Amino acid sequence: MSENLQKTLAEIDRIEHQCKTSLAAAAHLQEVEKIKTDYLGRKGSVQNLFALMGRVDADEKPQLGAALNRLKETLQAEIDNRAASFQHQPMAIASFDPSLPARLPAMGSLHPILQVMDEVKQIFTAMGFRIEEGPEIESDYYNFEALNIPAYHPSRDMQDTFYLNGKYVLRTHTSPVQIRTMEKQKPPVRMIAPGKCFRKDTPDATHSPTFHQCEGLCVDRGVSFADLKGVVQSFAQKIFDDKNIRVRFRPSFFPFTEPSAEYDFSCIFCKGKGCRMCKNTGWLEISGAGMVDPAVFGFVDYDPEIYSGYAFGMGLERIAILKYRVNDIRIFFENDIRFLEQF
Amino acid sequence: MKVTLNWLKEFVDISYSPEELGNALTMAGLEVESVEKIARPFNGVVIGHILSCSKHPQADKLHICSVDTGAPEPVMVVCGAPNAAAGIKAPLALPGAELAQGLKVESREIRGISSSGMLCSEAELGLTERSEGLMILDSDAPIGADFASYLGEDDYLFDVNITPNRPDCMSVIGLAREIAAISGKTLKKREIKLQPTPESLHDIIEVEIQDAKRCYRYSGRYLRHIHIQPSPFWMAYRLQNAGIRAINNVVDITNYVMLETGHPLHAFDYRHIAGKKIIVRTAASGESFTTLDSKSYTLDDETLLICDAERAVALAGIMGGLNSEVLEDTENVFLESACFEPTNIRRSSKKLGISTESSKRFERGADPNGTLHAMDRAAQLMCDYAQAEVVGDAIDVNAQAVSPRIIQLSLGRVNSMLGTELSGKEILALLPALEIKCRQEDADKFTLTIPTFRPDLERPIDIIEEIARLYGYDKIPFARRAWLDQSQTINERIVFQDHLRTILAGLGLRETLSLSLVSPAATEPFLPSGAKAVELLNPLSTEWSVFRSSLLISLLQNTAYNRNRQNPVQRFFEIGNAAWMQDDAHIEKKQVVGMIAGEIHQPAWHDKGRAFDFYDIKGILVQLFQACGIKGFQFKPAAEHYWGQENSSVWLNESVCLGAFGRISEPILAAYKIKTRDVFAFQLDFDTLYAHRLQHRVFDPIPRFPSVPFDIALLMDANIPVGDVEAAIWQEGGTYLISVQLFDFYQGEQIPAGKKSVAFSLTFCSRERTLGDDDITPVVTRILSHLHEKYGIELRPR
Repeated sequence: MSENLQKTLAEIDRIEHQCKTSLAAAAHLQEVEKIKTDYLGRKGSVQNLFALMGRVDADEKPQLGAALNRLKETLQAEIDNRAASFQHQPMAIASFDPSLPARLPAMGSLHPILQVMDEVKQIFTAMGFRIEEGPEIESDYYNFEALNIPAYHPSRDMQDTFYLNGKYVLRTHTSPVQIRTMEKQKPPVRMIAPGKCFRKDTPDATHSPTFHQCEGLCVDRGVSFADLKGVVQSFAQKIFDDKNIRVRFRPSFFPFTEPSAEYDFSCIFCKGKGCRMCKNTGWLEISGAGMVDPAVFGFVDYDPEIYSGYAFGMGLERIAILKYRVNDIRIFFENDIRFLEQF
Repeated sequence: MKVTLNWLKEFVDISYSPEELGNALTMAGLEVESVEKIARPFNGVVIGHILSCSKHPQADKLHICSVDTGAPEPVMVVCGAPNAAAGIKAPLALPGAELAQGLKVESREIRGISSSGMLCSEAELGLTERSEGLMILDSDAPIGADFASYLGEDDYLFDVNITPNRPDCMSVIGLAREIAAISGKTLKKREIKLQPTPESLHDIIEVEIQDAKRCYRYSGRYLRHIHIQPSPFWMAYRLQNAGIRAINNVVDITNYVMLETGHPLHAFDYRHIAGKKIIVRTAASGESFTTLDSKSYTLDDETLLICDAERAVALAGIMGGLNSEVLEDTENVFLESACFEPTNIRRSSKKLGISTESSKRFERGADPNGTLHAMDRAAQLMCDYAQAEVVGDAIDVNAQAVSPRIIQLSLGRVNSMLGTELSGKEILALLPALEIKCRQEDADKFTLTIPTFRPDLERPIDIIEEIARLYGYDKIPFARRAWLDQSQTINERIVFQDHLRTILAGLGLRETLSLSLVSPAATEPFLPSGAKAVELLNPLSTEWSVFRSSLLISLLQNTAYNRNRQNPVQRFFEIGNAAWMQDDAHIEKKQVVGMIAGEIHQPAWHDKGRAFDFYDIKGILVQLFQACGIKGFQFKPAAEHYWGQENSSVWLNESVCLGAFGRISEPILAAYKIKTRDVFAFQLDFDTLYAHRLQHRVFDPIPRFPSVPFDIALLMDANIPVGDVEAAIWQEGGTYLISVQLFDFYQGEQIPAGKKSVAFSLTFCSRERTLGDDDITPVVTRILSHLHEKYGIELRPR
């Protein structure tokens, strides 16, 4: 036996022993997999030994070949055995603790008032209304005059207004968008105008100088008060996701509608039985509505003999307060993360 | 308008309970804010008859009264009231009684005389504010009867919110008329019969209206031999419940009649009317006038005045003058019942800052044909309760006669407007209760005559509202229409805004919604150059006196607010309007603003975290642009001084700037008391983004052949921007280059001073075939030689 062969056979024994030792020490399947790669892989120890075949004499090759094949088979069997021993055991990583906190990706959110606005937009878009916008700094003409609220009219007292220099105000409602829309479009018109409004109200639990309103308008031939009632009722039942909500219209006065109404929803808390939230009336006051006053049509050159229409408003904070049971309007504008992250 | 149930019952029979009446009025458009039982805050009070009244031996101002309470023995009571006298009847609180404000009555000695009870004033009983003497009862009041029962059944106070279009309902009669109309009852009208002396007023008083535009009508009566004294209890009590303090019989009567009829009146002390003349004219500009509450006003030339031959004696329709007020010693009165143009009264009331019960009624529109009734009702009460004598005929200068309006109504129109199927008969059943005269012309047409106390009923639509109101809004059906017409298109601008909001929330920012009003100091740093703040003329406070000039102000406030509350991780965005003044015109712009501050996240077991930096905000922005399909933007230094040193603006081309981003400057952070330096933000112009958004996405086919990566490590001067090198690589990269990624960046000891090492991973790919070395090597060589020529950049040996 040549010296080379002897050396190589000794190396075979060593590798067999070393591999068996490693396998015995392996703590889990992944380690066994690594051992398999290290010994039997394409660049593994056994493969390296096959490369040594060239170094031995031709007559000794069969002997070495047989020894190598035996080694390969032995290790394969040992590895398979060891791997099998792990098959039915749970992952035994000492350090794995599923109760460690998750890695949280950064999370954004949408503001609750604007989420309500989104819902309102979806409901009316589905009913075929287009969403319109207008400026927050509005002219006296659009905010008041064209809505049939002349200067020195007592109805101006109904809204405490922030004035700017000249003939401008911070809009007190989104109703001016009605006028702007009717000026650029002939009937039929179906639109809603959600947006920010301003009134000179000292902030408290139910007042904020900045608040949000959604105005709605529908003008066509033959539009009636019954249509207004229907659309408001549809909206009520959808926004609070309750087919049993009833809607009540009470006569009221707004300069830009005639007949005018205040509308109430049956209380969503007590189902109209009477509770603290509805002051035991069974009704929640929501907002105002009515048939567009012919004087308003006069400002936008629509013929009131041909067309009629209805308009309605709603306060988004009011709806959000009812939906989310918020008890103070001011919290919407503090933007405290502990509040925002709840939505 | 506050009114009691018993007062209403004088004019209409009411079968509703107080709660039902409140609800019925509300559902008819007269919103009842509250219904309260009127308290009688006393017990143990009986009707006493003073048998004798003598002076207290030890006290000048006290009397000793012997009072009959129906018991066998009279009660001895010490009393301090000046009007205590033998023969009168007054409420007597017996020992053990409780009076208003928790006062308890007990037997006790007063200056040595034992007193077994207390004779009461109206104030002590909590009925009115009159405390100056005993409440004197009618002579037929039953002695010893319980006083509370004597006052009659419980009464209720209704607080009704009258909308500005209903001057007629600012009166008991007006509300009673509504109740009659709702409940199908009849309004009870009052007959007035005066017995004037047959004298002529010619030498007594003369009225001249100089401004017929502002004074429609002026009626008046002269009343003589008046005895000024307290008005009767029932009148003072009704005034008190309506919120008006009793003064004396003449003043109280004018107020009482105003509440009853809705028509304001004024009584002048005749002796102070100079020259026996009343002139209605506008003030001279700068003319001054002192009202009866002793306040002086400087008037303008639109203020209407009631004057005598020498001077002004009243602000027309608003308040009387100090110089002609009715006082204790007034003997003769000139009673005014006029009608003024509403807008002028409103204007003057606003301008002078005086709002009275009178001005509130005139500015809504009093009935020009109601002057005589109100005046005569007051004259009658003055005869009954002030011993007045009515002299001669009424004066009535009707400068602008107003006759009832005629309106033509179409039944078809009523039904099409309301969505109802009302018949003509139903309409005829509703309107006459409102004193609207109806004549049916044919099946569809009605001719209506509108009473002049309803100035709000001008057009057919106004009548339609009356019909709807009385018929009941509740009975109008809920119509459900299916809108199949798609003429109302989607508003793309709103869709885009909502898209941005979703993307920004997806990028981990929380949407905020802020007040748009800020302080002048907050606005200043964010105003564009040459711009001024949009100021409010009537702010609530300095803190909210101007419109925000940038949404960065709001986000800085929100960041400071949350940091002050130890809320970790501030990542915010807001879309909204900012405004400023440029050349005396306001500019309102919608902005898209984001802000990140402090630490990227709270320290965690897997990652200790780090402070936000410039590349975090840049990353958010680049992703946002990607989502909007905005490409080919370039970065340049930003100009605004509210940015710190790390800043950039984003340009689409030489003239289109999308906005800017970077670190907020330290002085700004200091102003908001934000302690961290690491506050980064972006501010974009919404409309520019909208104009340059990708409107129609077109599919870019995915390559079917494998891509080939090729990494290059470069050594270059530290001052060459990486962005320029990247652009140069793209320029020479040929058609197969699909991606350039910077994967390593190093400056430090391993490389020469003044140099930096950057490594890019280039990816090549073809749509037609698999690329080989032959395709790529020449391109890389070309890139490297271009970089070397242009910037002196070397390939860095591995």
